Amino acid sequence: MIQNKLSFHQSSVSLEIIGLPDYSKNENKDQISIISQWKLTIVDKPLIEGKIEHLGPIMDAFYIYSNLLIKNEIPIYESKLIDIKAENLHIHSIVLKSSKPKVKPLVLKIGNSLLSDTINCFDQLNESPKVTIKKTDIPTNIAKKLRFGLNKKVKFFNFFIPPFIAICSLILFSSSFIIFYNPFENIEKKELINPE
Amino acid sequence: MRKSYVTNNIKPNEFDALIRITVEMSKYLYPYIREIMKSKEDIEMNSVIWNDFNKRFNELIKERFNIDSIRVKKLLNQAENDEIIIKSLLILSFCISNQGYLKLKNFLYDF
Repeated sequence: MIQNKLSFHQSSVSLEIIGLPDYSKNENKDQISIISQWKLTIVDKPLIEGKIEHLGPIMDAFYIYSNLLIKNEIPIYESKLIDIKAENLHIHSIVLKSSKPKVKPLVLKIGNSLLSDTINCFDQLNESPKVTIKKTDIPTNIAKKLRFGLNKKVKFFNFFIPPFIAICSLILFSSSFIIFYNPFENIEKKELINPE
Repeated sequence: MRKSYVTNNIKPNEFDALIRITVEMSKYLYPYIREIMKSKEDIEMNSVIWNDFNKRFNELIKERFNIDSIRVKKLLNQAENDEIIIKSLLILSFCISNQGYLKLKNFLYDF
């Protein structure tokens, strides 16, 4: 049986997915639901390929790592299959561990440009209608609590700050009349009490 | 942060529209964004592109932002702004897919 092959390209990175449609679900001939092979090619780097069940965790690792990188958290991702950590602001070190015994882990060093290319290739795969893979939990929906909190914060300031400033200015203005002491008035009063 | 005396709060639909415009622009400008990031990766490589970008970035900040603000001063500080610029470029480069609009929105709320 001829297998379907789909490629996703982004600048220096390409992802190849080979597999078959699931005929039990009446899928089209060009669909891929049963992935038999995948290859991630990064220019000037060794070819990355693995078992079918490794694709999901590797994609997850890249997504989680990119989120950590952006959210100012410590950019380190470690798992049984893949480790990713930042060497500095521009270079990322990837360690791919083989599930086979006595096989040395593959160490890759990629820059921000290759990292974004890889993420974009995975995005294309995720969004492709022709490939059905187990979807990863990418946080694309905004947490309702966070959204609500942000709106509340804005409304709170808009609502309370103007009257707060008004009250403060009123207190300051009126307090100036209390503090001022008029010595002439006191002398006049004394003269009225003791007219000599 | 901007040089403006009018403090208009942005409406949700305007915010959404701005995000959509930003995503479309980053799709179009991805090759340039990529080259700017790449120019900073190799220390030995002459980072002309990075220097040009940084120079123009600082010019625009001085032209359009309130320079007296501490946050803006941070943006102009050469020692501190590298990280801010790289992270901003990374966010833009991660959001060029069809669902990039949702990704960028999510990143901005978490920022």
